[in-house]
Amino acid sequence: MPALVLDLLKYVFLAVLYIFVARAVKAVYLELRPARGRSATGDRRAPPAAAPASSRSKKSPRKLAVIEGDLKGQAFDLQDELTVGRADKCHVVLNDTYVSQVHARIFAKGETFMVEDLGSTNGTYLNRRRVTSPAELQRGDRVKIGKTVLEARK
Amino acid sequence: MQSSVRRNTELSLLIVALIVGAGAMTLVALARSVDRIALALPLAGVVAVAYIGAHVLVRRVARQADPLVLPLVAILNAVGLAAVYRLDPRPDGFGPAQVTWTVVGLVFFAGTLLALRDYRILARFKYIFGFAGLFLLLLPITPLGTEINGAQLWLRFGGYSFQPGEIAKICLVIFFAAYLADRKELLSIATRRLGPLHIPDLKHFGPLLVMWSVSLAVMFYEKDLGSSLLFFSIFLVMLYIATARIVYVAFGMALFAAGAFVGYQAFSHVQERVSTWFNVFDPKIVQDEGFQLAQSLFSFATGGLFGTGLGQGRPGIIPEAHTDFVFSVVGEELGLLGTAAVLVCFMLLVARGLRVALNTRNDFGQLLASGLIAIFAIQTVIILGGVTRLLPLTGITLPFMSFGGSSLLSNFILVALVLRVSHQSATEPDPARTGEILIGGRGGP
Repeated sequence: MPALVLDLLKYVFLAVLYIFVARAVKAVYLELRPARGRSATGDRRAPPAAAPASSRSKKSPRKLAVIEGDLKGQAFDLQDELTVGRADKCHVVLNDTYVSQVHARIFAKGETFMVEDLGSTNGTYLNRRRVTSPAELQRGDRVKIGKTVLEARK
Repeated sequence: MQSSVRRNTELSLLIVALIVGAGAMTLVALARSVDRIALALPLAGVVAVAYIGAHVLVRRVARQADPLVLPLVAILNAVGLAAVYRLDPRPDGFGPAQVTWTVVGLVFFAGTLLALRDYRILARFKYIFGFAGLFLLLLPITPLGTEINGAQLWLRFGGYSFQPGEIAKICLVIFFAAYLADRKELLSIATRRLGPLHIPDLKHFGPLLVMWSVSLAVMFYEKDLGSSLLFFSIFLVMLYIATARIVYVAFGMALFAAGAFVGYQAFSHVQERVSTWFNVFDPKIVQDEGFQLAQSLFSFATGGLFGTGLGQGRPGIIPEAHTDFVFSVVGEELGLLGTAAVLVCFMLLVARGLRVALNTRNDFGQLLASGLIAIFAIQTVIILGGVTRLLPLTGITLPFMSFGGSSLLSNFILVALVLRVSHQSATEPDPARTGEILIGGRGGP
């Protein structure tokens, strides 16, 4: 084989090698992009005024926003029952050693929502007071479970 | 992302990787003599068919698995194959043997994916894996073992030699992952005070310390420094991932420093390694203990930016270039650009592995994936640091590139396990999703 041809092929080979690298990097990028797009358009912080009036009572919260802890920035819709704990089957899974398997629940009672501690080891706190019996959850209330703080929002 | 999209991405990347592989083999053959192609192309073809087969299988049994892992493995493997083939293309040489091992490795890859439909089953047999790992580590120091190049790591039956330590790594990571997943709470809650540090109760460390010290002792006895370092690091990485407590890492580093110092004082072969590392170009050493490392450095220097071209350098001067020093062959013949591309592929593969771990909610799966990928990452750093004189040289294989059946086999099993975890974490309903997460900041596709 003439040296010139081999030399040329050497560069061609390196080019193909880099085509692979570029395509692999592009695949990584494409996979990340949809997630980023969603969080950019999605409401990372609940919008202060835009939300429509609640179907339940006007004062009752409609979702729980995580304002401290590993899941910070996420929000959960309140529903008939929302369990919080470390077990995989909970609605809100907190991977925190201070959280019990099934730690607490937030459930609908009539037109309001209640917080109940389910016999957790380290307790559930509503506005810094330990929850010993189901307590009503109002907008702006803060629920502390382990290292996570959830805020009730409309 | 839809599973079909993922698999199509995988296929298109895989095809490029296989073209690179076939091109590399062709170039090696062309550079030597044109009629070599008749031998090289069938080899490349066999590898391509095996990888396409693996892809079809992933499509069937792990369709949600990460789409980049298999193509990245293929390209590293293909470049490695070309380098090994380049060193020894004889029909009974290392090159064709490596092709055979690649096919056998892919068969094991397929077998693992087919046999293990739910990786969590592994956690149930954690002590079996723990003891199997220790047993495999111990085998070579029994009369069954043989010493090759100063390290007693091999078992020999018939014409084949096998390194049980390669499989032992995977067994021990399974054990560590299952054990740590069970005890992570206990290990991360401080109950004792030691000066300014809060230390968890020592009794929870018992089985781990036993495992760890036995595996280290065994490898010290087998004179395999690279593997001792590898095991130590995997252990620390997994402990840190399980507990998120930096105390363990600091403590481990201190322990490592102490161990390294004692090792240096007590063992002449450790002293020799370190002095070779420092004084590789010393006239007394460069022709002797330092010959291999010095030649490796010359190889990288000869390669320059673009390399000499595949098959046109002289990397055969490096002793044992086909195993530990395979990266020097890449350095000489593909140059800085080639080595950089290979390094990027290694990094991407590690990043994908860690992403699999991040996407997994199950503690065991998380630790398993990160532990397995840690084996891969740390091994790569140790040997690449060794051949470029960044770290003292310790013999260990470069995953997917070095010649060696045991190493290829175990790495293919490792990758199959990572893909299995990846598939399951993508298909299982995410418990948090039922709580209607409004914002998908993490998670991703």
